[in-house]
Amino acid sequence: MRALLHPALAALLALLLSPLPTGLIRKVKALVQKRRGAPLLQLYRDLRKLLRKDPVVSTTSSWVLRAAPAVVFATSLVACSLVPVTVRALPDGVPGDLFLFFFVLALGRFFLVLSGMDAGSSFGGMGSSREALISALVEPAAFTGILAIAAYARSTSFAAALAALNGLGGDPLLPQAGAPTGWAPSALFLLPVFLAFVLVLVAETSRIPVDDPATHLELTMVHEAMILEDSGRHLALLEYGAALKQWALLGLLASLFLPFDPFLGVAGAAGLALSVAFFAAKVLLLSLLVGVLEAATVKLRFFSVPNLAALAFVLALVGFLQYAVTGIGR
Amino acid sequence: METLGLALASLQLLAAFWLVAGKRMHSHISAFRAQAVLLAVNVGALGVREVLATGRPDLLVVCAALVALKVVYIPRKLHRTYAAIEYRIEKDFLANIPTLVLACVALVLLVYAAVSGLGASVSATRALLLVEALSVVLVGVFFLLSRRKAIGQIVGLLVIENGLFATGLYASDGMPFIVDLGILLDLLTAVLVLGVLVLHIDDAFETTDTDRLDGLKG
Repeated sequence: MRALLHPALAALLALLLSPLPTGLIRKVKALVQKRRGAPLLQLYRDLRKLLRKDPVVSTTSSWVLRAAPAVVFATSLVACSLVPVTVRALPDGVPGDLFLFFFVLALGRFFLVLSGMDAGSSFGGMGSSREALISALVEPAAFTGILAIAAYARSTSFAAALAALNGLGGDPLLPQAGAPTGWAPSALFLLPVFLAFVLVLVAETSRIPVDDPATHLELTMVHEAMILEDSGRHLALLEYGAALKQWALLGLLASLFLPFDPFLGVAGAAGLALSVAFFAAKVLLLSLLVGVLEAATVKLRFFSVPNLAALAFVLALVGFLQYAVTGIGR
Repeated sequence: METLGLALASLQLLAAFWLVAGKRMHSHISAFRAQAVLLAVNVGALGVREVLATGRPDLLVVCAALVALKVVYIPRKLHRTYAAIEYRIEKDFLANIPTLVLACVALVLLVYAAVSGLGASVSATRALLLVEALSVVLVGVFFLLSRRKAIGQIVGLLVIENGLFATGLYASDGMPFIVDLGILLDLLTAVLVLGVLVLHIDDAFETTDTDRLDGLKG
């Protein structure tokens, strides 16, 4: 029973806060461009509005178009529940596995791609084909990155990765109260892996330089093209699902690569709340970074995306080699 | 300190990959500049340590020379040279970028194999530092070989030099002061000469494609 506590907490947190990073990224972009921009909570309002509206479903479509929003939403939520929010959860057990995390996201993406093709519009098919290509391109980087983390933690489970990257050493399941958290010195070798995961995050969440979430220009859109046929509740679930997926990936980076928690010494429910709030702050900080990155770069030509993917793969591989081959820091 | 050195060395290698993955001359030059900044920080950190330990400011002087030359002067010179011949240079690479980047990883693997041959004669830390620095050298050589135009080849040469400088630094905790300065002076002359040469090649042959020089062979 206690083992379910952490996933439930993580999922609840994601449900409540996941639209926030999107608003933050948009705000940062707007401010950089000297615009005032939409309010921070705009996505919440959009979702509330869309959820009240009935979807219009094409008569030529099959059950896939109707099922896809639910599947995308559900898989993203499951992914969110797998990401460890705080090391305090370790003694109770953190379920989940890095491979499972990416598999669940891939399942959602599979249905999204199918639904893009289902209604038979040419834009949907184009978006689906691009999405499939991009996901295939960044997969080597993501899995080599997982491999590097797994080699470091000696396990692909989230619990082991969290313990190892937090430098808890000794008995990872029992972080002492008041013990300082922070990077284990040897974890610095995973810096290239972190950069690789940032590129994976950008590609997976359909952000500039891979895809432009703000565009509705037919020739360049990827994610927007796939959800073009959806409306009302269905669109709300897809947008919410995308926000959740972004939260999950940002959370993955925050919990594995920014292992700081100044509130670990505070005991009880108050301490837990502080730790969770600090995790949310880290995620929002990362989304600020993504916003700056998005404002500072231009969208790549679609056929230049493989260059970025190759770079991400190489970063992950170099990180893996640095740690695994020389064995420094073991 | 050791960890900082390792992190800086690995970032230098990443800058070399950024160089190879970049498509435009300006991104090549920024990659070179970033690498030079990392190198200068590394030398500066060692220099501060040396001043505290022995009171000799040699490495700090080298660091200042590095910043002046490689971070400020040479990139600016390259940008200016490029601006003069920009309209003739487009897409100067032999294979597509993913292929180039993957070939560079193969080079890194080669370096790992070579350095592991040193066995227990060097510490693990030093072995990793050597791997990073020698990889930068090989990636620089590869970059140089994969460019046809003279200006890209100059950047390749500069990156090789960065790698060699780092190798010297890591292999011997800093070469003798006079050697460091001599290398930097050589580099300055080389860039000046090459910069002038590029413009002259461009004037005389209306291209900086070095393949055309093959026609001069008897």
